[in-house]
Amino acid sequence: MIVAPRYLARGSWLARRDPRVPLVVGVCAAATVIQVWDARIVLGLLVLALLYYRTAAIPWRAVRRQWIFALAFVSFLVLVNTFLTGGEIGGLDPRTFRPLFRIPGLGTTIYAETVAYGATQLLRFVTFVAVGFPIAYAIAPADLGVALARLGLPDRFAVGIDLTFRFVPSLAADFQETIDAQRIRGYDWERGRRNPIARLRQATPLIVPLTMRAIVGAEDTIDAMDLRAFGTGRRTWLRELRFDPLDRLVVGLAVAILVAVTVVGFAGYARLWVPPFLLG
Amino acid sequence: MATLQVQRPGLWEVSSRVIVYAAIGAALYGVLGLFSFLLPGTQNVTVRPAFAIVTFFGYSFGPIVGLFTGLVGNAIIDQLTGYGLLTAWNWSIANGLVGLIAGVLGAGTLANLGGSKIVGSAVVAAVAVVIGFLFVVTDIWVFGNSLETVITASYVPVVIADVLAGVILTPILVAAWEPLRESLGR
Repeated sequence: MIVAPRYLARGSWLARRDPRVPLVVGVCAAATVIQVWDARIVLGLLVLALLYYRTAAIPWRAVRRQWIFALAFVSFLVLVNTFLTGGEIGGLDPRTFRPLFRIPGLGTTIYAETVAYGATQLLRFVTFVAVGFPIAYAIAPADLGVALARLGLPDRFAVGIDLTFRFVPSLAADFQETIDAQRIRGYDWERGRRNPIARLRQATPLIVPLTMRAIVGAEDTIDAMDLRAFGTGRRTWLRELRFDPLDRLVVGLAVAILVAVTVVGFAGYARLWVPPFLLG
Repeated sequence: MATLQVQRPGLWEVSSRVIVYAAIGAALYGVLGLFSFLLPGTQNVTVRPAFAIVTFFGYSFGPIVGLFTGLVGNAIIDQLTGYGLLTAWNWSIANGLVGLIAGVLGAGTLANLGGSKIVGSAVVAAVAVVIGFLFVVTDIWVFGNSLETVITASYVPVVIADVLAGVILTPILVAAWEPLRESLGR
């Protein structure tokens, strides 16, 4: 079993940037999109996010499943949100909403505002995803720890993340070994039991040996760190990170958009926008 | 006469042992978290057996290890499945809070409820899940969901699934770890 982060954007324009760039852009994008309910602004942000996504040159075939799942998941949430709330939208008075139609059977009235809200919600989520995927595919796994440390995260936490990524492939190999060993003894995880408690207990022969083996094996790493006096002085990293002018430009743009949207939001121009055709 | 004072590490101390256990916990949660099954009779409630890793590491190794295991482990799952570690950041924080609460409660009287670590760890896991996942209410601001949607489509399903995993598997892991811990002298 090979379980490791897929560095699909290797060699692309975005992957050649400083690894801090996708992280900063991701945080800025999340803080920006969260403030906007005007679909016209969100659409603009989505276009920018998709352009940014293209710079990672992530092969479509490799991520098709993730996109389909993300879109199906958010569509489900939007539908539940629209039908369950029956038009309740934070900060707006439902009495002023314009009814469009009533869902037969459910009796829920669908309003123009609810439809606009659901559509904007969908656009916002796709924007999140378009900026989030490059974090998964355009940062070399070995660079994540140093990138987070250089962004101001405490060194110990950054080392922890670095270690986590280094442990993943070896633990995945141990996991496969455990599955094989249990299969020899007649174990079958896929055996069709419908009772969830029985299925959970069925996971015991995999989870327990793997976890105990990993904890006992961790002693070697702890000893190695202690022998090198880990944590007694300021930590340095083998990989040097330096922003080049292009990195600064991308980060500057992300910050500028965040500031602009925040100002627009405070001025009251980022509220829910209902397209005129929905209002009749 | 010279005396040697032996101090137990504090609950919030970040030693090399804490960092390595935290990284092991997060990596285990990341690898095992890729396996889940749908709760029969439901559409969107998937049970992740590996969730018990979060409550077990919190209960056995303290709140810092629990926080890291949940927070980074969930982000790793998102990263490995390709969604990016920040896409559902508030869910990662909720997972981390569960581990943190399990760690805090694991150091208190609840940990040995009825004089048994087995019962105590199950109760700690359940309480930590119920409280920690309240953080997903932030979906209201992050994704714009209504409170009803957050409760019915997010909070209740995840609490059902993770209480099941935590209550059943955490005591089993604790029962396996305790004799091992003693033999290792921890």
